Amino acid sequence: MTEESKPTIDRRRFLTVLGASSGGAIALSGCSTGQVEKLIPYLVQSEDQVPGVATWYSSTCTECSTGCGLHVRTREGRAVKLEGNPEHPVNQGKLCSRGQAGLQGLYNPGRLKGPMARAANGQFQEITWDDAIARLAGKLGPAGNKVAVISGAGRGTFSDLLSDWVRALGGRLARYEAFASEPLRAANRQVFGLDQIAAHDFGRAKYIVSFGTDFLDTGLASIEHARGFARSHGFSERDVAKMVYLAPRMDLTGLNADQWHPIKPGSEAALALAMANLLLTERGARGEGAALRGALSAFTPEAAAQETGLPVATIQQLAREFGAARPSLAVAGGAGSQHAGATEVCAAVNILNYVAGNIGETVRFGADLDTSDGYGALQPLLAALDAGQVDVALVHEANPAYTLPRTSGFAAKFQKAGFKVSTSMYLDETSALCDLLLPQHHALERWDDLRPRAGVHSLMQPVMEPVFNTMATGDLLLRTAKAMGGTLAGFNASSYKDHLQARWQGLAATRKETDFAAFWHGALQRGGVFTDPPAAPRVSLAPRGGQVRYTKPVFEGDGPFVFATYAHSLLHDGRGANKPWLLENADPVTKITWHSWVEVHPDTARKLDVRDGEILRLTSPHGSIEAPVFVYQGIHPDVVAVPLGLGHTEYGSYARGRGVNALDLLGAPAGDFLPYISTRVSVEKTGDYKSLASIAGNSRQLGRGIAEAMSLDAAKKGLTVEQAYLAEGHGKHEINTELELEAIKGWSERQIQDTKDGNYTGDHPRWGMAIDLAKCTGCQACVTACYAENNIPTVGETEIGKGREMTWIRIERYWEGGEEPGQPVTAHFVPMLCQHCSNAPCEPVCPVYAAYHTPDGLNGQVYNRCVGTRYCANNCPYKVRYFNWYKYNQVAWPEPLHLQLNPDVTVRARGVMEKCTFCIQRIRGAQNDARLENRVMRDGDVVTACAQACPSDAIVFGDVNDPASRVARLHQDHRGYRVLEDLNTRSAITYLAKVLLPAEA
Amino acid sequence: MRKLAYVVGGVAAGGVAALLTLGGHPPYAQQANTVADSIVAPVLSASDTGSLKGPRQPIFFRHDIHAGQYKIQCQYCHYSVAVSSEPGIPSVQTCMGCHLVIGGSDSSHQTEIKKLRQAWNEKKPVEWVRVHYLARHAHFPHQRHIKALGPTACATCHGDVQRMPQVFKVNKVDNMGFCITCHIERKVSRDCSVCHY
Repeated sequence: MTEESKPTIDRRRFLTVLGASSGGAIALSGCSTGQVEKLIPYLVQSEDQVPGVATWYSSTCTECSTGCGLHVRTREGRAVKLEGNPEHPVNQGKLCSRGQAGLQGLYNPGRLKGPMARAANGQFQEITWDDAIARLAGKLGPAGNKVAVISGAGRGTFSDLLSDWVRALGGRLARYEAFASEPLRAANRQVFGLDQIAAHDFGRAKYIVSFGTDFLDTGLASIEHARGFARSHGFSERDVAKMVYLAPRMDLTGLNADQWHPIKPGSEAALALAMANLLLTERGARGEGAALRGALSAFTPEAAAQETGLPVATIQQLAREFGAARPSLAVAGGAGSQHAGATEVCAAVNILNYVAGNIGETVRFGADLDTSDGYGALQPLLAALDAGQVDVALVHEANPAYTLPRTSGFAAKFQKAGFKVSTSMYLDETSALCDLLLPQHHALERWDDLRPRAGVHSLMQPVMEPVFNTMATGDLLLRTAKAMGGTLAGFNASSYKDHLQARWQGLAATRKETDFAAFWHGALQRGGVFTDPPAAPRVSLAPRGGQVRYTKPVFEGDGPFVFATYAHSLLHDGRGANKPWLLENADPVTKITWHSWVEVHPDTARKLDVRDGEILRLTSPHGSIEAPVFVYQGIHPDVVAVPLGLGHTEYGSYARGRGVNALDLLGAPAGDFLPYISTRVSVEKTGDYKSLASIAGNSRQLGRGIAEAMSLDAAKKGLTVEQAYLAEGHGKHEINTELELEAIKGWSERQIQDTKDGNYTGDHPRWGMAIDLAKCTGCQACVTACYAENNIPTVGETEIGKGREMTWIRIERYWEGGEEPGQPVTAHFVPMLCQHCSNAPCEPVCPVYAAYHTPDGLNGQVYNRCVGTRYCANNCPYKVRYFNWYKYNQVAWPEPLHLQLNPDVTVRARGVMEKCTFCIQRIRGAQNDARLENRVMRDGDVVTACAQACPSDAIVFGDVNDPASRVARLHQDHRGYRVLEDLNTRSAITYLAKVLLPAEA
Repeated sequence: MRKLAYVVGGVAAGGVAALLTLGGHPPYAQQANTVADSIVAPVLSASDTGSLKGPRQPIFFRHDIHAGQYKIQCQYCHYSVAVSSEPGIPSVQTCMGCHLVIGGSDSSHQTEIKKLRQAWNEKKPVEWVRVHYLARHAHFPHQRHIKALGPTACATCHGDVQRMPQVFKVNKVDNMGFCITCHIERKVSRDCSVCHY
């Protein structure tokens, strides 16, 4: 659509058109067809839109700095689902929960609807864009160089434009993000003289040690890491990498480790250096190594044992195993291990990788991952604000008023600026302090690009009309420059898109592309331009790189416990707290939704005499917070932990006033980064209690064989789960008695006879699934994908407290071990969804045949037939049927969130049982497509939303009746088993047992 | 392999470049196969229209003239019926493709065409009254039915629209019995989950 023709259809009209032409995706009333409905056509038909057919656009995710590629599914001109771009080198077709929930940022009810200015009465008042730009230019002119800009935008054309723009004004710019991996960058500078972040190749590593880095979940490039980890750690006939987790608290990565050692907080560097020392001593160092050996000789395993609380033998074993595996990989960094000595830890791990020969193998410099400058870069700007040297302050894609501790005094310092401007899409804590709100387009509504790493130029394009009267900040900068002239006169591009294209013309020239239009359109279709990263630079120790240190950790205050905070798995640094999917999706470790909690070790809980849900008050020198207890074995007894991300005071109705902000307990010391583990807290019982809004049932398997596992040895021998069980010396596990088997045989023969009647005979597919538990990390990307695909309502904290969650697919987390003192605790994850049993307990009990068996093997659920007796849910042994207790369809999607609904799936009303359908809309869609193309279905035509999203490719879907299909072959795998097989449900989902590595690898 | 679109101009939806004539043929050159050799649409005066069946539309659009007398194929306007579950309601631009030139043969036609041109000039799409409904829990893939029954099978459900001055509901398409009867006759799937999901 060209600029001239833009006014042909305004936004309201546009949305109305969507409502009518989309075949009624928007929930009004269930069955009524009586009301007069209008059919409103397009005025001008868009050439790439066919009503009822999805149009896909490539784009780039901006939910964190990783820069994953997106495929955006649009229907009738609105985005309805985000998936990964298979061609994108960063994420290769997969997308995490936070990325998928970008859709709820687009349609967020808390979005600002247009530019606003603070009126004389202190309230915000709507203004026009022309007025807004005139006001901004009017303030910028007299301000001269007293301008300060805080930007969280990723590296790309926009950030370059912004920095040129600020430089032309003579102002200050800080690229700030809460989790900016500052210690990693500082350590790389210090040890190798390289000011960049390296990429980590987990796929090639044969032994992985994580020093408190949550690389599978909240770390940088978690999708890429999960993919690599599945390759090296998932079961194959070749080597299976072992992963050891060394940290005071087990996060999701820790739960996936083969071993967890709860070391004392802040002692990681001592351990890493001792390991490096042992490696050098054993190998005999030459040249550079000899110098290193001198520097490392002080770091003995005995000293490390003293610091970490680990036995010397364990440290020696770790070093031996780490050195023996080539290549191995040690990782450090991340918010969850960011204490005052975090740079020392990263430097120590650099040395360890260097000594083990991993640099260039599994640690790849040259990739140059994008991170912001972070906390350190913000300090001079804050000082200038405090000194009253800033007349105009502009904040873009950052929320420092929330992500900095209250003790930083950000709000007071920021208030000293004469005129405060925000481009935030939402009224967050920072924009609430501002005088002028210039809400920007969502990333799905604007042109832009990102360079998340070397060799990747990732494009964004508007996939739909803007939902509100917003403006891309790039256009805002250019229009302001036009209004001001003077030093900004050089910014003369007519629009930000023109500016972007001009930059890409430069890129085309360097790539010797002569036809720019073809180059541009090709890049738009692929999602960008992807080249191999430049050859890794030769990495050697910097002149003083070997001078490593370990400083004994010091924590502020005199409370009995060290206080740890960490990045919330879904809410990240708090930016996810306005998206109901991310609030309702459970934390993968604790399974708690919607609110904050404090993790306490069982021994500590016993001492304090507290149980799950009792509210504790934690008091540090900087403040106090109250949160309910979650008793957690995966935490050091001397540590209590609260996740970041909640306790907002603004940021929309979903976020405001929910949970507590763990930052309230932290100080804001000067330095390059904010230490998240820096205080000691005292703990007292408040006497209050809050029922945890948890979706976990019993956290123990109780011998039910739900999450099966076998030893690596047994798996390599090709034993089945039962054989492995017997080989371990257990008695025969009697699944069914002879008598039962006979009865079952007779019964099933009659069933087969029954199916000969009706339309059950004939050449039908049998849809089935295989889930490899050796690959599943429990990350829950599948859960969010299911919410997005199937219009699953979020029910809220109260309803979840009543056990009314709607998660069609959920990740069950079972604890193993840890029942006796000294016994290590591990977690087994099982994605649990409708098993689509051939012999389904739910079907025969339905009095109205709403639950029935389809010819292609699904447990069908006909919503319009269901009368809500709930007999089926009572009879389901897997607890995968969910009852719609309340008018969720009327409360779960406040405008404009309802625009995210998938038009292909019925929105269920109250009183209906619902459950996983194996994405039947995708099955029927693929069948329709195959029929139109006069062909039979092929393996891979149908990919369910969960399988599509899974970063480690643990889920495979297909036709089990087709012997050539991937799923049919996996059903024959020796590790395969079915959950609760003894109930003779004959489910369609085969799980492949998790493979456990021996303690001594 | 999913076919990826990209944004050519400024914003994805609501593009300007819809084709004036689809497939490059003038509409009157296309022959509808099943149309009787000559349907002459009756001349109706304004007083006649009150007795016509079906809801009154904002513009008295006559299918009997377009599809009957002039034998314009259904799919010329309902462009997506063979590829999508949605048949597609023609954009105002599609109407204007002809009516930019054709102003109507008598005054009653001219009045209605004027309304269309006014809508185009004011950039307000025509708000048609919906005649055929389907409950939201039922999915009807138009394209599968066109594939199975042929491009002129519209009349199977929608009746002889080619002879309708004003469209009205002939069959109870919102009644499952209507679907099932046909599915039984043709021995095709009667599985609930084919339509209900």
